[in-house]
Amino acid sequence: MNTSAVDLATTFGPVGLSTPFIAASGCFAYGEQFAAFTDLSLLGGISTKGISPLPRYGNPVPRICETASGMLNSIGLENVGLEVFLSEKLPFLREQGLSVWVNFFGTDFETYIECARGLNRGQGIDVLEMNISCPNIKKGGIEFGTVPEVAHRLTKACVEVSEIPIVVKLSPNAGDIVGMAQAVKEAGAMGVSLINTITGMAIDVHTQMPRIATTYGGLSGPAIKPIALRMVHQVARALPGFPICGMGGISNGEDALEFLLAGAHCLQVGTACFAEPGAIVRITDELRNLLHRVGFSTPSEAVGKLKTRPQEPAWSA
Amino acid sequence: MAYEAGVSATAFTAHVERNRPLGAGYFVLEFAATCETGVADVVPGQFAMVRGDWGRDLLNPRAFSVFEAADSRHFSILGKVFGRGTKRLAAAVPGEKMTILAPLGVGFRPARAGVTQLLVAGGVGLPPLHLQAKRNAAAVGPNAVEVFYGGRTRDDLLLLEDFEAWGVKTHLATEDGSLGTRGYVTKPLVSRVREAAQRGESVELLACGPTGMLQAVRKLGLDHGVPTQLCLEEHMACGFGVCLGCAVPVYGEKPYRYCCSDGPVFDAQEVRWS
Ligand SMILES: Cc1cc2nc3c(=O)[nH]c(=O)nc-3n(C[C@H](O)[C@H](O)[C@H](O)COP(=O)(O)OP(=O)(O)OC[C@H]3O[C@@H](n4cnc5c(N)ncnc54)[C@H](O)[C@@H]3O)c2cc1C
Ligand SMILES: Cc1cc2nc3c(=O)[nH]c(=O)nc-3n(C[C@H](O)[C@H](O)[C@H](O)COP(=O)(O)O)c2cc1C
Ligand code: FES
Repeated sequence: MNTSAVDLATTFGPVGLSTPFIAASGCFAYGEQFAAFTDLSLLGGISTKGISPLPRYGNPVPRICETASGMLNSIGLENVGLEVFLSEKLPFLREQGLSVWVNFFGTDFETYIECARGLNRGQGIDVLEMNISCPNIKKGGIEFGTVPEVAHRLTKACVEVSEIPIVVKLSPNAGDIVGMAQAVKEAGAMGVSLINTITGMAIDVHTQMPRIATTYGGLSGPAIKPIALRMVHQVARALPGFPICGMGGISNGEDALEFLLAGAHCLQVGTACFAEPGAIVRITDELRNLLHRVGFSTPSEAVGKLKTRPQEPAWSA
Repeated sequence: MAYEAGVSATAFTAHVERNRPLGAGYFVLEFAATCETGVADVVPGQFAMVRGDWGRDLLNPRAFSVFEAADSRHFSILGKVFGRGTKRLAAAVPGEKMTILAPLGVGFRPARAGVTQLLVAGGVGLPPLHLQAKRNAAAVGPNAVEVFYGGRTRDDLLLLEDFEAWGVKTHLATEDGSLGTRGYVTKPLVSRVREAAQRGESVELLACGPTGMLQAVRKLGLDHGVPTQLCLEEHMACGFGVCLGCAVPVYGEKPYRYCCSDGPVFDAQEVRWS
């Protein structure tokens, strides 16, 4: 078998993907800028910057800072708003020959539903990725992402107004990630994306001030990968067959395969795209070669194939 | 509005050709790209995002103004050791591989006939203004620009011989008085702007340097009704308008624009600084 025998095409629930790689929300804007640096048709899909019913202008600066193998951001969910997205951004995305995932959020029940309903007016959207993490908005956002019962009600309300499948993006800041996944599954979510950024902070000792304006921000990049893997694995074990889109610090083919083995069906790459606009294309090639070397002929063959380590006999005193 | 060069940014790999230390932590890194790039069309003020083969540490590239661009494969940056990234770059050896995105952003307006450009550089804000001075001296004549250059001590004032060679007048200032006027560079600048006003001479200000200096230049420009362009720095993750990290507070329809894609050069009137 040569590497061209590895077919990267896969499915995520009802959605067909030419590769398992989706550009992560907030790290690819609406795709336009990347077209100058990389061939968008080589991606499996794009998840847009989170869309809200009205435009948002975002947080004060500094909004980002680098940390050990990661970065903190507090962009404030700045976005162009539903109407501008539909009229100015969606037509471009739909022409790129990839799966279009629209990440969205609201500030309360009504605005979540309004956004889901509004996005259903758009043509060519494959997935609505509902962001219930929202670490960077002040008003009540936390509960959606951390209390299973609230997430259930919110998901159900949005699923009811949407023809487009809804994937709920879970927050790692939830105490019980499995409980959250179960709650949104029962509410009709097609799948889950995990993980969003982990709340963190950094301090400048010279000025004795927080390094970002909002004090706390979302940590992303390789630093969060072990936590992301663990959460993907827990959800995959608890809900076999339920579609999981895994992410958090993926920066090469090996990282990608780790997520597949842990039980993710498709993957997102975020922070790595900043330093290298062509990162996803490189990682795709690396995964193709690695799957071949390890003996898988498709990504789906590898999903959930984590083996258990041989157990030592238990010691009894 | 600042002058826009059009979209010529390329993502490419380059090798370090030469690392030229200039003392006091300053260095010039000369790059040779492995393919044709858009750097030869650089407008002073446009920048490059530069990252070495740093694995999973120092995740994001660092921003540097393009200092010189000889042709489409060769260009350089002038940096100063500041934190971990610039420390690594200062230690780069010939042959070392770098990934680069350049030229990015919107640079300074070119000189116009009949308007003297006063270029105000503080410390490591020199590179874009050095390039602007060189271009203007060649295109319009050495009298089209004057350089105001400030630093902490004489060791911070670099490449003075270049300005001399181009016939460009310099006004120097150091905080310790070791070279030029003692104090901030805005001191000789204020006198020069007043003198121009008295003589009815048209001038404009182009500034790049520490925020304190830019705030003073902005105020001076606004107070005297002198057109002023500021080259700003913001923390950047991507450099090409996708992370939305580099917001600059502005007056106008929206509260923020982006340092990397709308700037880094902004009109002083636009910048919303208290
Ligand atoms: C448009 C632009 C042009 C620049 N041109 C030059 C130049 O020609 N020569 C030069 O020496 N420096 C220049 N800088 C500043 C240079 O980017 C910073 O000094 C450098 O990023 C510091 O990195 P570090 O790892 O050494 O510092 P650290 O403090 O360790 O960096 C931590 C993080 O903060 C960011 N950061 C820290 N200081 C700055 C800063 N002043 N501006 C932006 N990001 C910062 C870094 O990129 C990094 O992500 C420019 C910055 C911008 C935005
Ligand atoms: C600058 C930035 C902006 C982000 N914006 C969003 C967003 O709008 N909506 C969302 O669901 N996730 C957002 N994320 C989270 C990413 O989509 C992703 O879940 C997270 O960064 C982990 O993946 P990574 O380590 O590959 O970046 C953002 C991340 C970053 C770094
Ligand atoms: S640095 Fe990412 S948007 Fe400007």
